[in-house]
Amino acid sequence: MSSSRADNADANDSYLERVKAEIRAEADAARMRAPLPRKEAPPPRRAESLSHDGTIDRARRDYTIAELTGEHYTAFVDGAFRALLKRPPDEPGLEAQVRLLAAGAPKAEVLGNLRYSPEGRTIGTNVQGLMPRYALAKLGRVPVVGFVLNWLIAFAGLPMLLRHQRAADTRNAAQFQDAQLQAGRIADDVRGTNARLDGVRSELGDANARLGELKGAFDQRVGTLEARVGENESRLADVPSLRHYVHAVNHWLVSLQSAIDGIEGASDANKAYADSLIAAIYDASEVAAARGARQAAWIEALRGRLGSGARVVDLGSGDGSWAAMLAGLGADVAGFESNGVLAQRARERGLNVAAGDPLTALTRCNDASLDAVTVSGAATGDAFATLLSESARALKPGGWLLITAGEPRRLGDLGGARIGVLDRPIATAMFGAAGFAVDAAFGGPDAVLARRA
Amino acid sequence: MLVPGLAPYDAVSNDTLGMTAALRALGHEVTVFAPHARDVAEAVQPHDAIDAWIRGEDDVIVYHYCIGWDFALDLFRRTKARRVVRYHNITPPEFFVGWSEGYVGACTAGRAELDAYAALNCELYLGCSPFNLEDFSRRGVDPARSAVVPPFHKVEELLAVAPDARRTGNNADGAPELLMVGRIAPNKGDLALVDALTVMRRTSDPRTRLIRIGKLDPNLERYGVAVREHVREMGAEAHVVAIDDATPGELRAAYAAADALVMLSAHEGFCVPLVEAMALGTPIVALGSSAIAWTVGDAGIVWSEPDPHLVAMSIVRLHTDLMLREMLRELGRARYRTVFAPAALAKGLEAAFARFAA
Repeated sequence: MSSSRADNADANDSYLERVKAEIRAEADAARMRAPLPRKEAPPPRRAESLSHDGTIDRARRDYTIAELTGEHYTAFVDGAFRALLKRPPDEPGLEAQVRLLAAGAPKAEVLGNLRYSPEGRTIGTNVQGLMPRYALAKLGRVPVVGFVLNWLIAFAGLPMLLRHQRAADTRNAAQFQDAQLQAGRIADDVRGTNARLDGVRSELGDANARLGELKGAFDQRVGTLEARVGENESRLADVPSLRHYVHAVNHWLVSLQSAIDGIEGASDANKAYADSLIAAIYDASEVAAARGARQAAWIEALRGRLGSGARVVDLGSGDGSWAAMLAGLGADVAGFESNGVLAQRARERGLNVAAGDPLTALTRCNDASLDAVTVSGAATGDAFATLLSESARALKPGGWLLITAGEPRRLGDLGGARIGVLDRPIATAMFGAAGFAVDAAFGGPDAVLARRA
Repeated sequence: MLVPGLAPYDAVSNDTLGMTAALRALGHEVTVFAPHARDVAEAVQPHDAIDAWIRGEDDVIVYHYCIGWDFALDLFRRTKARRVVRYHNITPPEFFVGWSEGYVGACTAGRAELDAYAALNCELYLGCSPFNLEDFSRRGVDPARSAVVPPFHKVEELLAVAPDARRTGNNADGAPELLMVGRIAPNKGDLALVDALTVMRRTSDPRTRLIRIGKLDPNLERYGVAVREHVREMGAEAHVVAIDDATPGELRAAYAAADALVMLSAHEGFCVPLVEAMALGTPIVALGSSAIAWTVGDAGIVWSEPDPHLVAMSIVRLHTDLMLREMLRELGRARYRTVFAPAALAKGLEAAFARFAA
């Protein structure tokens, strides 16, 4: 059991590994088809500076110069506007101050320009230490005095300038390093893009080749179809004469069908007529009275020979009068009558009598399944031999076979119902040869009762 | 049983209460101590009352270690009772740098106590997963004093509730559906998940949806904004259903409707949603980071890299390959029955605590 489970686990692992390999291949293809716009998740945000966040702290009225000069270029000017004028810079104002910076003005001069502008004075933001530095910056613009002053300041500030220079060098180096990294990322992206382009180019080449093959195959198929269309066009020339033949044959078939229907109708009508004649014979009072007398004698002969529930097949049931007598003995009777008119009458009396050929019905009974077979109107020739052999087959050992003359008793064949009168010595010999023993005690004039050996 | 706090729908709380019930069933007398408890069916005692309950060396204190807590460390240093460190793991602070200084501080403080607990040579270090125990084995803790017992959970209760698909939908249109369950935090891989959703929508089925069940701590709002912005950049606003207060019925419905639970978290000490998926028959596609690979075992598609194309194609395969889907469902149910079902957990706990029987 555990070995089987381990085998299953191994099979699952193997199957899962195969599926994963297929998924990986599909992912590679999907990556080529639809790359994401970027490969990495966005980096975490960092706390942003005053000048970058776009917000304005309107309540704040105190700043230091260092707070406002941490940024450079437009970012510095933007921050100064927001801090000192409490608004984003307008385009001309931004341009003017940036131009000043580009011309070498100190940041303190830009801050002073904004702080001591009419707008800035109205707002009144305090920047510690700004006034003297702004004044020095402005004094530096006075001819001669300004020149000397700038020289003095520059001389005094040489150590600081050197320190700034070194810091600037470091900053530039850091920015250069960042730029290199950025350039490296861009180069990676370009290489990736190129690789994808190569892939796409390769796929396009393959697609073009495939397209060429398909075009060749398509042209070949079109040529074949054109040739077949030509052949079919020549064949279509014969279509009118063929259509004429088809119509003629169809007409002949319709006529033939009509003729067959007529023949079948005549046959059915003839059969119905014959059935009605025989039914008329049945209806004749003398015939019926004589039949009733004969049947009374036969039923007395069977009383005591058939037990209650005996299975009996009655062939040639007529209007069912005999089947009704058998049922009166307690037998389970199934009757068969070739005359449709009489069979219908029997069913109307509530008897189990089917319309059809009685002999065929007998051949469909199981072997040794019946306690008695009663026959009204014995068949002749081959049909009589079949009657005997099939009765012998279908009857249980000891079962009874009663064959009686039907109606009319001496008129010969009529409407397919063959009727004859049995000769007792001949019948005794014939029944004996067929496996039956004729019951000598049964002295009916028009009937033979025999028992299956 | 000592725990920093107890609350409903909390993995550490569920483990504490489940372990308490299991130990009581084994015949032990168990009391739970915590500084605060909310909506739990347990008579919780104040944490600073624990000294009065300790009678001697026969007692055992089980501390559920999941954050930094001076009180617990001091207690373990001075107590006479035998000590069990039930370690749920603490997310490394690097995940929160740039998102929340508060989380960075809390996680740093929590992980800083690892050295101290390892040095205490406690009687048992009980990890939720082998991955958790690595934090102690690296610090020289004797493996003989270590054991793994997966966390107790409420999955059986989830199996018993009726699905409620009013908010999650029941996937009536047959579109592929990804499910992620867990709080929204930088280590949970939400951005990669949105990328996978985008790939699916671009390469397979534009109707693909993501059901995201989990809360966002207000202290991580900056990260939440970044996730929402990323969803917007990818044009997927209409394809993400975010539910931060799902009921058990809604959780059940979400698992039933999803093609897979997609777990791209970069750090998990165990990951209970994986167990829920196994029990409910939802296939798993996961990044095999931290404890995830062990928890999933053979019952899911696990990748070693958080590649959104790999994840997306895995979902596509699951959506179309019924044989694979059924196989993973069966493997998941089998792993739940044999490893994570309450009876299996109780048996593992009994074996781990057998050392205290003498």
